[in-house]
Amino acid sequence: MTNATIQEIEGIDDYWGPAFRSIYEGEGHEAFVQQLDERIKQHDKEIEKLCNFHYQGFIDSIRELLQVRSHAEELHAEISNVDANVKDTTDSLCAKAEELIRARRVELNIAATIEKMELCLPLLTTYSKLKSQVEAKRYYPALKTLEQLEHVLLPRVGPYKWCGQISADIPRLRQAIQDASMADLRDFLENIRTLSPQVGAMALKQTQEMLGRNLASIVKNKKDMAVLGISAKESTGPQCPHELVDFSPLHRCLHIHSVLGAKNDFIQYYRAQRKQQARLVLIPASVNLHDSIQGVKNYLNAVLGFFILEEHLLSAGAGLVSKDWLLDMWGMSVTKVASTLRTNTSLITDPTLMLSIKHQIVLFINTLKCYGLPTDPLPLLLQEMAEHYTEVLMQRWVVVFRDILDNASFLPIEVENQDQYDGVMDTFPYDGDELEMQPFPRKFPFSSIVPGVYVQVKEFIYAWLKYSAGLGLGGGRRAAAARQSASLLLSRSFTGCLSALFRRPLPLMQLVQIIVDTQYLEGATLCLYEFISNITGSELVTTQAAGSMFQAARDDAEQQICDKLEKKVDEFLDLENYDWLLVEPTGQASSFVTDMLSYLSGVLTSLEQLPERARVAAVRAATNRIATRLRNLLLDPAVKQISSGALDQLNLDVIQCEQFAAGEPVPGLKEGELLEHFASLRQLLDLITGWDWSSYLHDVGIDGGKYSLVTPRDAATLLEKLKEAEQKSSVFAVLKKNERDRRKLLDTVLKQLKQLQNQDGS
Amino acid sequence: MAKTYDYLFKLLLIGDSGVGKTSILFRFSEDAFNISFISTIGIDFKIRTIDLDGKKVKLQIWDTAGQERFRTITTAYYRGSMGIMLVYDVTNEKSFENIKNWIRNIEENASADVEKMILGNKCDLEAKRQVSKERGEQLAVEYQIKFIETSAKDSLNVESAFYTLARDIKAKMEKKQEASNPAGARSGAHQIRANEQQRKPTSWLSRCSLL
Repeated sequence: MTNATIQEIEGIDDYWGPAFRSIYEGEGHEAFVQQLDERIKQHDKEIEKLCNFHYQGFIDSIRELLQVRSHAEELHAEISNVDANVKDTTDSLCAKAEELIRARRVELNIAATIEKMELCLPLLTTYSKLKSQVEAKRYYPALKTLEQLEHVLLPRVGPYKWCGQISADIPRLRQAIQDASMADLRDFLENIRTLSPQVGAMALKQTQEMLGRNLASIVKNKKDMAVLGISAKESTGPQCPHELVDFSPLHRCLHIHSVLGAKNDFIQYYRAQRKQQARLVLIPASVNLHDSIQGVKNYLNAVLGFFILEEHLLSAGAGLVSKDWLLDMWGMSVTKVASTLRTNTSLITDPTLMLSIKHQIVLFINTLKCYGLPTDPLPLLLQEMAEHYTEVLMQRWVVVFRDILDNASFLPIEVENQDQYDGVMDTFPYDGDELEMQPFPRKFPFSSIVPGVYVQVKEFIYAWLKYSAGLGLGGGRRAAAARQSASLLLSRSFTGCLSALFRRPLPLMQLVQIIVDTQYLEGATLCLYEFISNITGSELVTTQAAGSMFQAARDDAEQQICDKLEKKVDEFLDLENYDWLLVEPTGQASSFVTDMLSYLSGVLTSLEQLPERARVAAVRAATNRIATRLRNLLLDPAVKQISSGALDQLNLDVIQCEQFAAGEPVPGLKEGELLEHFASLRQLLDLITGWDWSSYLHDVGIDGGKYSLVTPRDAATLLEKLKEAEQKSSVFAVLKKNERDRRKLLDTVLKQLKQLQNQDGS
Repeated sequence: MAKTYDYLFKLLLIGDSGVGKTSILFRFSEDAFNISFISTIGIDFKIRTIDLDGKKVKLQIWDTAGQERFRTITTAYYRGSMGIMLVYDVTNEKSFENIKNWIRNIEENASADVEKMILGNKCDLEAKRQVSKERGEQLAVEYQIKFIETSAKDSLNVESAFYTLARDIKAKMEKKQEASNPAGARSGAHQIRANEQQRKPTSWLSRCSLL
């Protein structure tokens, strides 16, 4: 038993529990511990034997192990060394690698930057181009650049801050460009304002040249040019008036505004500006255009220049100026021009100035026609000016005539020799056949004013025709108008001067000479018409009756002659010195009457040059005056009494006058015509001296009676005076019977006359 | 009726053409002067009333044409004249020499007792003078006529010449009046007419011949 258990324990490594239980439960413990001990002693002896067997090997192994240990230490040192070496080498390598990596990164960055920068570059160059364009005032390209910048370049580049700045800059630049272009426009406007007078002047000059052009002058010009070796092409300077002006700022401005989309605004602005300028142009620079021709020239030049430029813009067709607008403006302006000129010319008193102005206006009109602008109120203005010119000339000639008349002697021209004779005959058309025969000194029937005035009227016609020259009137119309003006000059101005002359008292003989002179002047009108026809090259027209041109002046002169004679008669009658209480008449006519009659006869014979009508009128006036004055003398209320002796004396004087009247002092009177002036006086005297009251009272109130011209009042007045005188002179005569009867009759007649007077009065 | 004057004197201006007769008369009657020369044709007259010693004297002054061609007309007026002014131009020798002829004319045509006076006109034109004052005086002494130098332009002595002549006529007339009517007439005017009427026949006839 025990041995088996140990083997079992030995054979089983772990599950020892049942073995131990069997020992523990069996009674063999001592035997088992003894067996176990024995087994332990066996194993110890076996371990000892084994240990003795492997000892040497074990020592050897330790020795060997010790050897390995040193080797291992050697190896360790060597490896450490290598490791240090490697460590050194890799350290620098790492540094390099890191450097490399950094460099690579930089390189990449640079490439990226370059790429970005290249994108920005065109933007910047464009921007700088823009700047320089603006700087150089090349606004139109600048605007194009701006557009490119804004729409192409800027979106391409990222949202950089400077881009933002540039885009913020764009509207500002655009505004600046617009402003600058506007400033340019203003400069342009100002420029053309100063240039337009030159443009106008040039256009007028060209028109003048064109008007003055005819074959001869063209040939001459060509020759001149050939002589001077100038070909037409070589002539420098602008050929057309509008070339004087550089329109490019305007067109640029227009382009700019079209680009800016403000073309219409711009056109409106331009038109408004021009309209304003037009207004300025239309107000003449110098206040008084009538002072000098230069003022008018400048004015017309400016206006013309203005519209030539507009017209050029119209034909250039940029749309700045429309036909309607231009015509509208022109219509407004031409009216204003006409009215300005009208106002100013109406003040002019210098015919030369008027001529120059007329010339300017004609040129102006012709130039306008060349440029297709309507001339409408201007021809009318010229016509009005023509009338004014005639007025001015007439005023001039009034002075001339006045001068002639003031310095005239009103004596017939007397010539001493052939030269003087020819001198008169050359200036005045006079049929001198009769005079030719006479010996020197020869005497013309007219005074020096006749040739003087004739020459002046010719001068007037020359001056007058100067105006109508170049108005494009036909010869016939010019001649008619000239004839009319010349007639007007004579019939109005000269007659007016004559009338003015008559206002101061002129000696009788001068008045006579004036009447004679006017006849010769009238006679010469036909020659004036011929003269007009000759210089206007038209048919001779003699429709106007030349006879009555100076009739008014002649009437004036005749009236003056009559007045003068009447005044002289008055002067004589003022010398009247009647003694109204004269007892016996002297038997002689009063001296003032004889003096007067002889004076009148003398004067009337010296009036023989006068037309019959005037002489008759003069003698009529004088006789009528004498008769009236003598009759008034008789009936003068201041004369209270008239003796029959005084009555006889007066009767004698009246008879003298009647003899004078009956003696036909001038030819052309009707038989007994002058005596009629004395008829009423004669009847009164006859009635009183003849004491023919019965027939007077019988016939009174009946036409054709013997005393039909004696009114009861006059008869009564005179009778009263007689009565007074008789009462005073012959107190004692009452005693005689026939005197008493006479007195009685006188009283009865007086009573009847009073009754008649009352009847007439009632 | 109240008379407007006491005396009426008819005076006559004679002398060569252009010596200034009309100017002297113009100066005296209108107190004016006109530089331009207008030759008188035939005859003309002016009337001016002056006051002499309280008497109103009407002067009817006849201005004659100096030109020869009017001689027949003008001589007819000599007869009725009571005073004659002989006018010459101190700047015109010829007009002075002709005074003698004019005096002869007067002797032939005017009444014998006519008052005369010599006027040397234009004495303002000293620079152009051809006839000295002394020669004028000498001539006056020779004919026993009063003499005065005048200037119608400067209104020198014109007035006094006419007054002198008028006064002389008046004195002569009053003297004659006293002689014929020592009692003294009431009115001078009547007397004048009487005077004139004595001469009338010849005067009237001479005029008739002219007519």
